[in-house]
Amino acid sequence: MGDIKNSEYVIEMRNITKVFPGIIANDDITLKLKRGEIHALLGENGAGKSTLMSVLFGLYQPEKGEILKDGEVIKINNPNDANKYGIGMVHQHFKLVDVFSVLDNIILGVEPTRFGFLTKKEARKRVLELSKEYGLNVDPDAMVENITVGMQQRTEILKMLYRNNEILIFDEPTAVLTPQEIDELMEIMRGLAKEGKSILFITHKLNEIMAVADRCSVLRKGKYIGTVDIKDTTKEELSNMMVGRDVKFVVDKEDAKPEDVVLEVKKLCVKSHTHKKNVVNNVSFKVRRGEIVSIAGIDGNGQSELVHAITGLERIDSGTVELVGDDVTHKSIRYKNTHGMSHVPEDRHKHGLVLDYSLEQNIVLQRYFDKEFQSHGFIKFDAVRKYAEDLIEQYDVRSGQGPVTMARSMSGGNQQKAIIAREFDREHDLLIAVQPTRGLDVGAIEYIHKQIVKSRDNGVGVLLVSFELDEVMNLADRILVMYEGEIVGELDPKKTNAQEIGLYMAGAIKNNKAEGDKTNE
Amino acid sequence: MSKKTTPKKNIFDNAGARSAFASLIAILGGFLVGFIVLVLLALFNENIDFFDAVDGFFRILAGPFSAGNKDNILFQLGNMLFNSTPLLLTGLSVAIAFKTGLFNIGAPGQYLMGAMGTLIVAHSIPTTVVPPAIVWIIALLTGILCGAIWGAIPGFFKGVLGVNEVIVCIMTNWIAANIVSWVFKDSVFINVAETKMNFIKKTSANGVSTATFGLDKFFSGSSQYSRSYMDISIFIAIIIAIVIFIILNKTTFGYELKACGYNKNASKYAGMNEKRNIILSMAIAGGLAACGAALWVLNGNQDFKWEVYQSLPSDGFNGIPVALLANSNPIGVVFSSIFLRYINVGGSNLAAQTDFNEYVSQLIIAIIIYFAGFSRYIQEAMIRLRAGRKNKEKEGK
Ligand SMILES: Nc1ncnc2c1ncn2[C@@H]1O[C@H](COP(=O)(O)OP(=O)(O)OP(=O)(O)O)[C@@H](O)[C@H]1O
Ligand SMILES: [Mg+2]
Repeated sequence: MGDIKNSEYVIEMRNITKVFPGIIANDDITLKLKRGEIHALLGENGAGKSTLMSVLFGLYQPEKGEILKDGEVIKINNPNDANKYGIGMVHQHFKLVDVFSVLDNIILGVEPTRFGFLTKKEARKRVLELSKEYGLNVDPDAMVENITVGMQQRTEILKMLYRNNEILIFDEPTAVLTPQEIDELMEIMRGLAKEGKSILFITHKLNEIMAVADRCSVLRKGKYIGTVDIKDTTKEELSNMMVGRDVKFVVDKEDAKPEDVVLEVKKLCVKSHTHKKNVVNNVSFKVRRGEIVSIAGIDGNGQSELVHAITGLERIDSGTVELVGDDVTHKSIRYKNTHGMSHVPEDRHKHGLVLDYSLEQNIVLQRYFDKEFQSHGFIKFDAVRKYAEDLIEQYDVRSGQGPVTMARSMSGGNQQKAIIAREFDREHDLLIAVQPTRGLDVGAIEYIHKQIVKSRDNGVGVLLVSFELDEVMNLADRILVMYEGEIVGELDPKKTNAQEIGLYMAGAIKNNKAEGDKTNE
Repeated sequence: MSKKTTPKKNIFDNAGARSAFASLIAILGGFLVGFIVLVLLALFNENIDFFDAVDGFFRILAGPFSAGNKDNILFQLGNMLFNSTPLLLTGLSVAIAFKTGLFNIGAPGQYLMGAMGTLIVAHSIPTTVVPPAIVWIIALLTGILCGAIWGAIPGFFKGVLGVNEVIVCIMTNWIAANIVSWVFKDSVFINVAETKMNFIKKTSANGVSTATFGLDKFFSGSSQYSRSYMDISIFIAIIIAIVIFIILNKTTFGYELKACGYNKNASKYAGMNEKRNIILSMAIAGGLAACGAALWVLNGNQDFKWEVYQSLPSDGFNGIPVALLANSNPIGVVFSSIFLRYINVGGSNLAAQTDFNEYVSQLIIAIIIYFAGFSRYIQEAMIRLRAGRKNKEKEGK
């Protein structure tokens, strides 16, 4: 590449248009990335952010428009070309080989060889250097399937750095991270920018944009709205640009009026698959109608396993679960689903959706056998269509072809909205929601939060699991903190603060009550 | 996003049409390469020249219609349709497994078990006591049941124990081959005629054979002894394909089976019994393959070779290309199975009438299958083209 850096911009995407069946995902979008800046890309779910970045990374060919690097028009036909021009991308859903080590993943495709044999020694040295230089802590020999998402992401970043990429694309990197990991990532990004790397950063979290970005471009419904300097703007202005109206960040809600118990968990234990200790150890709690109980904690402290045990996705080793007074410990998932339990799962691709089914097929995933949707074993397609259209409209699920859109082709946030619509609309007394707003835009989050509070007010008991303290503080009527598989404290959101919860989450304090329970065994 | 483009309706907006079109392209590609191969063969063989290659190519293309006179054509057509039956059903067997996320490479074993069950029943119930039609039905159902059980075994290993179905299928294939050989060895079912000791008696020996409604006569050559095997089994197979299509696409049962195939975890989350569904899928697949065998032997004029411990029936394996070419669509399987037989017949005519050998037709089929592997790619290319055109239409406005 030429050494004349004659343009102020490293990358210019001019008048990009990308069309999918039934939808113009990018409509004449122009985006300019300055050298060494962190440029945020903001927009509602389905606004076309991932698509635009995929165009830059060579995954999609735009129908119109051109891409310039250092002021010169370039053609990016595939990710290899992108790599050649120094463009790297961390995708919304990671692309690592699970059964390979971190090091192998990093060098995959650019393996150093001598006489046709791998020479990993130098590669390892280089990876370790890079990881030290940028504070990207990884274990090069660990298998990807065994490491945390945070480390997987650092692996993805190292992959880009190892290839000497200087334009780094991050597609919603923080959606899967814990608050601590997010802080680390922000630090890393600042460091990268200081070293002269230019960063494109997609996120729905305005706080993150305010914290690290230099400029921010906003897309709405496939169109370019504008670019602003972060130092001259506010969160409110950004969200207004993005959704076209003011967004409230705090949910209005009255005090909870808890009634009878809908979920009672008693001394629940789940054994770990990998080590001897229980991942869920002797957990007991109740959720009543009309209250939102939130489980807070750092990811990996047994929250997922607890929810899986309650919902039936994982085996319970001991203890009991009661749903509206009915002992469902050993009942099937179908039974629980049809007896008052709704569940927004943590992993939308693994559990939440059949990606190769259409949106409408996914909407009736737990109801296809209802009288409403079948007779004599034959699916009533009209009824399904009608129902799906209603929900799509009500929850503003956006997609190319409406009910018949393949779930796989939908934007991440809209996939989540489809799940939310399905679970909220099913008849239920108990709503278990794990990270319900992961990957949603601020407008959608506001809407979902309102819906959760509304459910509560209508007499539903809500169990909310979230790694985001803001969400927990905002919604919960009671907070249970989980640490190493145990509930270490129960807190009243009105009487506590982030610091105190943080101490519980880190295991620095434990409630006597929780300790007392343990000795009972 | 937002603005809905509403250009003219185009059939390629329909996924089914796209996949049928992709299969057609695969077939054309296969023919093209096959033709090139014929020409190359002609180059290296003194007895044949370029024009022979062209001529040979058209003989293959013409299938049974290259048989010469009208009688021969009818005769070959009849046999082609009859011989398509087992292929159609094993193709269906592999297709339904594919649709539910499983690879049923166990069709040969299920086929053998089906043939065994059917033959034993067809010969054991005396038609002097029970009407032959009833025996025919019981024999068919027994065969299907044997195959279903045989298919359920890999299903059980996969669903409950998590063992890869391909490995178990391969093992059950050979176990079936040995069981069948062992059961029939020294049994009363073996044909007593000196030259036919390798075979089981034809079911017609007990008066059991599939109804023909005169189809065998209609599809026959002029001379007396060349009456084709044609009976109603191909129509039974087509009806089964339609039923499978309806089950997969219109019923809650099919919805569940496919959901489990696409995403086991999400199916579990949704409260489906994913283990049971995997076993059921494989049982149905096994039953279908076995049904193919049952209909074949019940024709009444077929010799079933019982010493199979060293060789698995090719119709079992050929279900795989049939399903692939049809993109696992049950209706598509009807066409792809008959089509592959059609090419086979053309190939044997070519071998009989010219200096080419019949392997050429096998080669062309193999190439077509290879092209069918690109079907996904072709479909995506169509989507891309289509999207581009829509965009242009929009700009035009
Ligand atoms: N491969 C595809 N095929 C068809 N349509 C697609 C495809 N990829 C994206 N789309 C459609 O294009 C639109 C834009 O999607 P995109 O993934 O770019 O949104 P996004 O801004 O990244 O949203 P999110 O914040 O939810 O991730 C969506 O409506 C989506 O349905
Ligand atoms: Mg996206």
